[in-house]
Amino acid sequence: MRTHIENRIYHVELVPPRQESEKLDADLELFATKFARVMESGYCACITDNAMGKLSFQGTEMIEELALVPGPDQVMIHLNTFHTKSDLDGILAACIRLGIRQLLVISGDGSDRLPRLAPADIGVSGVEAVTSVELLGYIAREFPGVFELGVAFNPYEPEEHEFGKLERKLAAGASFVITQPVIGRHPVVDALLSRYPELPVVVEAWMSKKIELLSEAVGYEIKLEAPYDPIGNLKTLHRNHPRCGVYLSILSFKTQYDLLGETWVTGT
Amino acid sequence: MKIVVCVKQVPGTTEARIDPETKRIVREGIAVATNPFDTYAVEEAVKIKEKVGGEVIALSMGPPRAEAVLREAISVGADRGVLLSDRAFGGSDTWATSYALAMAIRKLGNVDLVICGKQAIDGDTAQVGPGIAAQLGWVQATCVMEVSEVEAGAVDGANGGSAGGDGSAGRMVVRRMHEDGHDVCELPLPAVLTVVKDINQPRIPTLRGRLSAGKREIPVWGAADIGADTALVGLSGSPTRVVKTSPPPAREGARLVLDGTARESARALLHELRLRSLA
Repeated sequence: MRTHIENRIYHVELVPPRQESEKLDADLELFATKFARVMESGYCACITDNAMGKLSFQGTEMIEELALVPGPDQVMIHLNTFHTKSDLDGILAACIRLGIRQLLVISGDGSDRLPRLAPADIGVSGVEAVTSVELLGYIAREFPGVFELGVAFNPYEPEEHEFGKLERKLAAGASFVITQPVIGRHPVVDALLSRYPELPVVVEAWMSKKIELLSEAVGYEIKLEAPYDPIGNLKTLHRNHPRCGVYLSILSFKTQYDLLGETWVTGT
Repeated sequence: MKIVVCVKQVPGTTEARIDPETKRIVREGIAVATNPFDTYAVEEAVKIKEKVGGEVIALSMGPPRAEAVLREAISVGADRGVLLSDRAFGGSDTWATSYALAMAIRKLGNVDLVICGKQAIDGDTAQVGPGIAAQLGWVQATCVMEVSEVEAGAVDGANGGSAGGDGSAGRMVVRRMHEDGHDVCELPLPAVLTVVKDINQPRIPTLRGRLSAGKREIPVWGAADIGADTALVGLSGSPTRVVKTSPPPAREGARLVLDGTARESARALLHELRLRSLA
């Protein structure tokens, strides 16, 4: 992750098609096109895992079935706790086959259709449910040195509670952090950078103009006085957090992608 | 073992409404999905096939677009699907539907086991599974939560199905739930099961499975194809008369009282939230 940040490599979120898609062929083609663009740009494609609990295809199967070609260290897979053990094993094995090293390990959002790992599945006892901490610990224990494990950090949660969680995640094997979307600057992100000066931190840039969706995503209401300008915010993030990487969520490939090339260079 | 699993396309759970004139569920122009209980039936059928060998055939009755639920079943392991679709079937109640499905099962031939979801979430009658058993004259077990033993019949070739008519020398042992506990039942095959959610965790279709299922031919059978008496299907074959419908009373929010010290209560609350994936 440190190399990504130093080389100004954007992390571009890609969402696989939903299982319920009625235009699957078109969705697959669109995903493949976006993936190819991210690879050509030298950025890192970050593929979500049943985001918001919506049943979707897995990133690794998308790459394998569509014969996509990941560049070296250009793919990050989100991995949450809503899998069967055999599915988890399959995803990790596919990552190894495909040379995917970076995993963003999160608790995730469940749904009626999604199974959830049981503590016993990953050799854990004394906990009621598997969270990202237990999943991190399992991967770090079973695959030492194979993966680079990242975790989420939500600056909108009560600060000490969130830092407590982060400590447990770091102890379990996390080596980088991706924040929830930041608008301009957030004091808790500043505190994070101050407390962990050596920890690679990637701030998330919300690239949709629909700021109300961000409130839903982070679980807290975010109000702005002026209309939200995603590209303007991206430049502000670079200016305010020059030592951080940037993760782009809900990015428009039609209207925003071509503007990225010079954004990080100037940051103005 | 030749297994038929019945699947139904139902309205999305938040969109179901009743036509005030016909008293029937409005199915046109709304999002649809596989009846959730049927996904457990498909999973159990596939698990049994994986254990003892044979074939799983997904069977549905509905309009042409209901073939989507058959493709979904194929994407998670069913070998093929058959859609019963014919204007003559329109307006069928649970008895007429059971008759049509039973006729299709007879036509498929040498079927050892039929598995259905406990009920469909649109009609909520839980009658079609038992209705199929009655139409076929087979034994049945409803609300099955576990299949613990399955023995296929003596003749169980690669093409599936057992020797002779609809009969089989196979047997199975199941556990069925009821309000006071559960029963362990031994059933001779052929038999009909209806299953509840506790029975398994349905697998999620892979992209490969989904793409493969999308290319499969789904035969469509009409009333004539299954030898159905048209007087016994559709409105004419349906003894049910809905004389009045009304919306159910609004559900009150659930209330959970946590006893103990503040620490114990907080721990119990966290436990409940985690079970609901809210913390």
